[in-house]
Amino acid sequence: MAGGSVSECKEYLFKVLVIGELGVGKTSIIKRYVHQLFSQHYRATIGVDFALKVINWDSKTLVRLQLWDIAGQERFGNMTRVYYKEAVGAFVVFDVTRGSTFEAVSKWKHDLDSKVKLANGSPIPSVLLANKCDQKREGSNNTSLMDNFCKETGFLGWFETSAKDNINVDEAARFLVENILLNDKGLPYEESNGERIKLDQETVAAESKSGCC
Amino acid sequence: MYPKQIATSLDNVITIRNVNIFLKLGLSESVIAAACSRVGQRVLHVDRRSYYAGNWASFTFNGLLSWIEEYKQAGPSDEAAQEKVEEGEEALALSSLDTSITNVEVFCYASEEPEEVEEGVKDGAAAAWSVPQTPDSEGEVERCLLESSSVEEEEAVLAGDEVAQASGPDAGAEETQPEGEVPPQAYETQGEWQDEQQASPSPAESQPEPKKQITYTKIVKEGRRFNIDLVSKLMYSRGSLVDLLIKSNVSRYAEFKNVTRILTYRNGKVEQVPCSRADVFGSKQLTVVEKRMLMKFLTFCLDFEQHPEEYQDFSVHSFWDFLLTKKLTENLRHFILHSIAMVTPDVCTVEGLRATQHFLRCLGRYGNTPFLFPLYGLGEIPQCFCRMCAVFGGIYCLRQSVRCLVLDKESGKCKAVIDSNGQRISCSHFVVEDGYIGLDQRKNVDSRQISRAVLITDRSILPSDSEQQISLVTVPPVEPGSPVVRMVELCSSTMTCMPGTYLVHLTCSSSGSAREDLAPVVSRLFCIPVSPGEESKEGEEGSEVPSVLWALYFNMRDTSAVDRSSYDLPSNVHVCTSPDAALGSDHAIKLAEAVFRQLLPEEEFCPPAPNPEDIIYDGEGPQGEGPGFEEADPAEALPSQGEVESAERQEEAEDAGETGDVAKQETVAVAENEPRPASEE
Repeated sequence: MAGGSVSECKEYLFKVLVIGELGVGKTSIIKRYVHQLFSQHYRATIGVDFALKVINWDSKTLVRLQLWDIAGQERFGNMTRVYYKEAVGAFVVFDVTRGSTFEAVSKWKHDLDSKVKLANGSPIPSVLLANKCDQKREGSNNTSLMDNFCKETGFLGWFETSAKDNINVDEAARFLVENILLNDKGLPYEESNGERIKLDQETVAAESKSGCC
Repeated sequence: MYPKQIATSLDNVITIRNVNIFLKLGLSESVIAAACSRVGQRVLHVDRRSYYAGNWASFTFNGLLSWIEEYKQAGPSDEAAQEKVEEGEEALALSSLDTSITNVEVFCYASEEPEEVEEGVKDGAAAAWSVPQTPDSEGEVERCLLESSSVEEEEAVLAGDEVAQASGPDAGAEETQPEGEVPPQAYETQGEWQDEQQASPSPAESQPEPKKQITYTKIVKEGRRFNIDLVSKLMYSRGSLVDLLIKSNVSRYAEFKNVTRILTYRNGKVEQVPCSRADVFGSKQLTVVEKRMLMKFLTFCLDFEQHPEEYQDFSVHSFWDFLLTKKLTENLRHFILHSIAMVTPDVCTVEGLRATQHFLRCLGRYGNTPFLFPLYGLGEIPQCFCRMCAVFGGIYCLRQSVRCLVLDKESGKCKAVIDSNGQRISCSHFVVEDGYIGLDQRKNVDSRQISRAVLITDRSILPSDSEQQISLVTVPPVEPGSPVVRMVELCSSTMTCMPGTYLVHLTCSSSGSAREDLAPVVSRLFCIPVSPGEESKEGEEGSEVPSVLWALYFNMRDTSAVDRSSYDLPSNVHVCTSPDAALGSDHAIKLAEAVFRQLLPEEEFCPPAPNPEDIIYDGEGPQGEGPGFEEADPAEALPSQGEVESAERQEEAEDAGETGDVAKQETVAVAENEPRPASEE
């Protein structure tokens, strides 16, 4: 809570999905963003659930960003609802060196929009990441095409990123969080109807112990 | 250069050795799969359905309509294909027909026409919205959608058409259709109510009603807000499922609500059961003497083992007989038997006492009733375990099944399976749900069934200060010989139904079809809109009986009592049973643990998964490998065998075996390492 007084500080927890074809660098982007690490040694994601990034957004706002990686089931496109539920933003990633991963972007976007929505029924904000731009062949600059594509497919925008060279990863995240915060301000939080329970946090209710006696 | 994306085939999996294959995604199978994956076993989990959780699934409203459609269609016929079986092997076919769901019946009572919305609002009548679109000679309002698929299609079309017409108080603020342009009175006059409407066309705005009328159109439109479970259970806050969720850290994937009330149906009324101490003292329906009696009895039950003299004479008698000898009023006996112990009168005394004790011990852990309900429905729970399994490398494949097992004649073991595409996948163990086992492999056939009803209603069974109540309602036999019915009423904050509606699940052990078993209870506790001419409930102004908007009945087979010994199967084929009728999930969890012990006797069952929340890097903090990182992030900690460094910490040393396994799995099961040269960070 840098600077601002604690009482004024608002804390947010945002669940953000990172999706896209196999090997486009989803895990690399998460690791770069959250841990400032990059490894070229590629491996499919095992044991990684989500990573948490804490952002001191401004003097009054603390954002805890949960970045959810897709696990082994991705290859068959069969994500559990557990993965999608209550997400408020998404990155769809493709690999600029492989056209087929870009072709799959629409499929992922469609899947995303069909499986998760904001409380008001609109799609969750999503940003397209053209990853591995450090390997991009020169001359393949088609900014206006990409802008159009984003408009048609419903992305807020797109970024050329490189998890390897740390290009635009922070910028893309900042852009997405800005948009999530905009939504959040516009929408009242639907949970005024009593507490939700996390199992690992036992409530010490007035009725402590075993209830009677 | 890169491996092709696999759509729906298991090509790459076929090369894997020693995989554990799981067929069907029910709770037990999902728990075992997660447990195996967690300790480094290779897991392939398939289901012929397109959704997770098998018969434990929950569906959006529209998803449920598709599910109903699916069960109307006959299953795929058994092609007696020549299987790829080699010498010394034989094929054992699995059942390709899912016969676990029967007697599916659907009734829609919510209106579809906007003018009926107006009418209902005007009259404020609970029962005023079910009108056949075309005058029906019998005055039959109920329409069984199953009898004609065209009805549903028609409705789907209507759903689209009517949205534009929806108007008045029914039009939610968030709707995008231009309702504002349609004056509330601009309904098409049609049907029997035409005259009445024209006689008194009072616009809705002049008499605002607090209750919104829910039309079928609205339900379809808001269908995604529903999560309708096929199985209705609650979680005992100190039951084996809750314990396992906490122990394994799978609980991180779900949130819960406390059940807020225990209700019971008695003498034609729904009453709240006082179960916690605060309830007992605050109860208005109990006398002071009764309060004292009840407290005394419950206090005894809490540690009844300490007082054997109190009950040992009744060890051969029923719990009911025991209750009769205690100084309890009829009121209290009803509460204790039906709502606290939740047993039948004939169970033995000790069993009744134990059930009461379990109930009492679960009180107060998370709230003032012993029960929890997962947000988004019970169907979340198997998916939570599937997510855990996938995070540790388990592969999931829906719309895929196993056609037959390949048995080694010599050892009698299952060495491979052949999937629905005819491809052979070798396996070390095969875990399958009972429904896939053909008749030939069964020594006897147990035909127990569960009767289920799902209702969407317009108000709570017992209105209170809060609209957001989650209630368990115990309904003793409404007539001699009829079943004990358990009812769970869910409010919209459980994320299982749209605001303004309640989702009601009824469950009992079947004696007949679901409708035969449960319709008598439904008709006593709810208002089933009758044809408009009758309007039986119309006069009861302020009637608090909820109206049924939509109802589904079905039977589900219950194989939970089938013993392992009644299957004639290879020793490395393990059968999981379907959901049982009990309130808790203990059976499924105990079964999962037992099967896991057979599969991997040496391994720990569901050790805690590392918590990703432990990896917190402050945005401005120091970068790089902070202490605890390798430990907390398994992907980083378990890169490949070569990279497994000598354990620096005690915990790592303990995990070393597992580390190697996971790493192996990674290369074998996944087999898509980027062929770029590795230059480590």
